[in-house]
Amino acid sequence: MIALGCLTALLTGRVDAMMSAVLDGVRQAVELVIGLVGMFCLWVGIERLAEEAGLVDALARLAKPVLGALFPHLGPARKPLGAVTASVLSNVLGLSSSTPLGLKAMSLMKDEVGEGDRGVDSMSTLVIINAGGFCLFPSTIIALRAALGSRVPALIAGPVAVAGLAATLGGLLAYRVLGDIFRER
Amino acid sequence: MYPLAHLGSYVFPALLLGVPAYAYAKRVPVYETFVKGAEEGFKIILSTLPYLVAIFAAISCFRGSGALDYLSRGLASVLKPLGVPADVLPLIAIRPISGSGALALTGDLLRAYGPDSPVGILASILQGATDTTFYVVTLYFGSVGVRKTRRVLLSCLIGDACGFAAGFLVWRMLMS
Repeated sequence: MIALGCLTALLTGRVDAMMSAVLDGVRQAVELVIGLVGMFCLWVGIERLAEEAGLVDALARLAKPVLGALFPHLGPARKPLGAVTASVLSNVLGLSSSTPLGLKAMSLMKDEVGEGDRGVDSMSTLVIINAGGFCLFPSTIIALRAALGSRVPALIAGPVAVAGLAATLGGLLAYRVLGDIFRER
Repeated sequence: MYPLAHLGSYVFPALLLGVPAYAYAKRVPVYETFVKGAEEGFKIILSTLPYLVAIFAAISCFRGSGALDYLSRGLASVLKPLGVPADVLPLIAIRPISGSGALALTGDLLRAYGPDSPVGILASILQGATDTTFYVVTLYFGSVGVRKTRRVLLSCLIGDACGFAAGFLVWRMLMS
């Protein structure tokens, strides 16, 4: 991306614009992280409480029949699956806790399954599910539409769910297919 | 009105109150445990900073140089014949790359055409069809220090394309 960007900038004489955009971008990255610190502390703190109280284990038991198939390598370890479930559920409900819980699940998976192929497979599955953004309650868009005077702000919830499901399934399928191609290299 | 559209605003306080209350009933030291978890959350998000700086630099370079506009024009030559309105093409190009950029663009389209117009509805659907792929992949893998992410990124982008296609098809059915 940097190569393409620099090349375009040189060819079109927009080097100055590009430079200031890059400096802007790195500042935005820092602002974004600082802005997220509070939310991360809150949600990972709540997750820790739920973990110690046994709620995460319970969640994992409930979700095992559904999500267990997608995460075959997590095995008997309940903690990672519970955290994965919490994150995916947050995503489906359109809650802000999705990302903090997702990263927590990533670190649990790394601890329990490691960084080998199996670990990376489990982590990739979670990333694809959350990047696909299957969401039944797209609160941000509904709020935006309502604020701009829509008479049916939630009309798009159904289509958004269909599209999100397609993005998630398409991504998971692509990951499987690409796996064979990447391994041959 | 979609009856469950505000479910999120009930779940949030329920978790905020319910989890500590349940933990207290289970005799978990609530404050100490929460603080330990919060400290962990602090470390997790800070550890992603180098990765986010790198990807934001790359993305800004791509946008600021005008390369994104070329990508969007390239997309146009493929998608226009399929009946995708020209105004939403930049949104498709930017959606996987920048969350705030895409949201701003959706806002512009809704203001210009009206949120309940055909273009407004399509823009809303495409905005919700997928999450900001580059951001999610960077953040998640950055937090655990895994760098082999090319296959995942490619899969997610293929997934995004599926999501956009499905969103567009549903929109056509809604409009006809």
